[in-house]
Amino acid sequence: MTHAPIELVAPQSAAIRRRTHPGRDSRSVLLLLSPAIAILGIFFGVPIIDLVVTSLSSWSGVGDRTFVGATNYVNLLGDSTAWSALTRSVTLGLGTAIGISIIATLLAALVSGGIAGSNIYRIVWFLPAIAPPSAVAVFWALSVQPKSGVVNAVLGAVGLGDDHAWLADPSTALGVVIAVAMWQGAGFAFLIILGAMEEVPVSTYEAAAIDGAGPIRQFFSITLPLVRPVLAMILLLESIWAFNGFTLAWGMTQGGPGDATTILPVQVYKDAFQSGNFGTAAAISVVGGVILLAVGFVGHWLGSRTAVDA
Amino acid sequence: MSRRRTVRVTTAAGQLWAILWSLLAAVPFVLIILLAFKSNTDIFTNPLGIIGVEWSPQNFAEAWTGPPGGQGFAGYLLNSAVVVIVAITGCVLLGAFTAYFATLASARVRTAVIRGFLAATTLPLIMLLIPYYTAFNAADVLSQPWALGVVYIAVCLPTCVLILHSFYLGFPPELREAAALDGLGIVRTFVAVVLPLSKGPIVAVAMVNGFFVWGETQLAIVLLQSPESRTIPVGLLDFQGQFGANTGAIFAGLTMATLPLIVVYLIFNRSIAKGVALGGVFR
Repeated sequence: MTHAPIELVAPQSAAIRRRTHPGRDSRSVLLLLSPAIAILGIFFGVPIIDLVVTSLSSWSGVGDRTFVGATNYVNLLGDSTAWSALTRSVTLGLGTAIGISIIATLLAALVSGGIAGSNIYRIVWFLPAIAPPSAVAVFWALSVQPKSGVVNAVLGAVGLGDDHAWLADPSTALGVVIAVAMWQGAGFAFLIILGAMEEVPVSTYEAAAIDGAGPIRQFFSITLPLVRPVLAMILLLESIWAFNGFTLAWGMTQGGPGDATTILPVQVYKDAFQSGNFGTAAAISVVGGVILLAVGFVGHWLGSRTAVDA
Repeated sequence: MSRRRTVRVTTAAGQLWAILWSLLAAVPFVLIILLAFKSNTDIFTNPLGIIGVEWSPQNFAEAWTGPPGGQGFAGYLLNSAVVVIVAITGCVLLGAFTAYFATLASARVRTAVIRGFLAATTLPLIMLLIPYYTAFNAADVLSQPWALGVVYIAVCLPTCVLILHSFYLGFPPELREAAALDGLGIVRTFVAVVLPLSKGPIVAVAMVNGFFVWGETQLAIVLLQSPESRTIPVGLLDFQGQFGANTGAIFAGLTMATLPLIVVYLIFNRSIAKGVALGGVFR
């Protein structure tokens, strides 16, 4: 779909009006919808309130919470570990999203351009996405080990040296996490972008071909602009997911070496379950959550604006 | 739906990149299986070799039963199975149920419900982690796989409802009206008429959410504290610590975790691709 993706509250066409009932709801329908609504409240509504309460308290995980007001938040402002974690999360989020978007667009261009073997590629390229993230983390952590890991074995075979300690080196550790996140996430983005590319009418390309535009020109002047809304959505989604991503970083390095891969979710986990500092962890969660929600809303708003002319 | 474009990008460079990426995507899985069969010394000294290698299939037995004093894959598999069965059955059934009856509601209620679920999908998991832990702790259900399954029902419900709701908006009302004429109540109609006809989207939604729940780690690591209660993804992380230098066993564990998923994926890949396409816009 090249228009705004969220189109649930469908226009009240005649067909839809026949299917839904604008009149009064029967008791039974409301009753039948209540379990789901209850779940929404219990599992989404109440926890948020609970989280805010915890963030305003000091709690070690046992016993009662002690109300401390905004102390946790005030402390966060001056807390460099929390700020560093935030920066790392932003780096991870943007780096992963941009990398995935570029790769996925190129892959989708190849398949929608009719490359031989497309049917196999569609299946193979999604493969990394179905593996459990923790399995992916363990595999790649073992594989980038100096000397014994397969990555270094391959590099050694082509003469690039085989004792790079990617994960033990604080300057490259986060880069490894980003690379693995890109490896796993590209397949999903590829399928979505491919779907958008395949919606472009053939006639548009035919008209351009008649006008003398070659394949490259067509890609940049026709395909890219028309799939731009979907591309923007993918960029947004992937950055949010990468920002949220706990498993890869924790599974590969447990936040190390030192602090090099301690992104926000890892910091929350460490504060709560290793340091017993639930209040701080809750405050960080609230801040991180608010940032994500804000980014999501802004992204959606921007997206629905540019889509109007698509 | 495939349209033949007049633009053909079948250059050699294009093919090369396609093949390279395919290798990058697929070879790790081959490696996981290959290394699972090797002895620890061979993994260390000769990871890519196939000939003249010392094969060590007992890696699988070790991974299955676990290190002495530790947890084995067998236990993790059982816990994962419980979690996934509870989560997917609950989520898909309740999701279809809710999505369908939302179409029977007035526009006001329907919009409110859908907006509620939409808002739920935007909620970052990081904000739910601590409250769930607090609640589990208080209710003393920490380390109960079935309880984690219930949490997943809630977490997966919004996407289930949203996707299936789109499907049910297009559901022909004649079938429902005919059933009503036959005297069936709305619930009977749903079970006897609507549900059997919803198989396609339901399978797609179940598959996509199934893979998610099977691999989910962040909630599981927090809510399943005791080693015996852990699911496969958390167990794999434990393997790294428990098995230490026994990398053969670790790879055997990785193989047991990923191979069944690959098989299921290859069989159901159309369903999964459809689920991804449907769910992509809602996640």
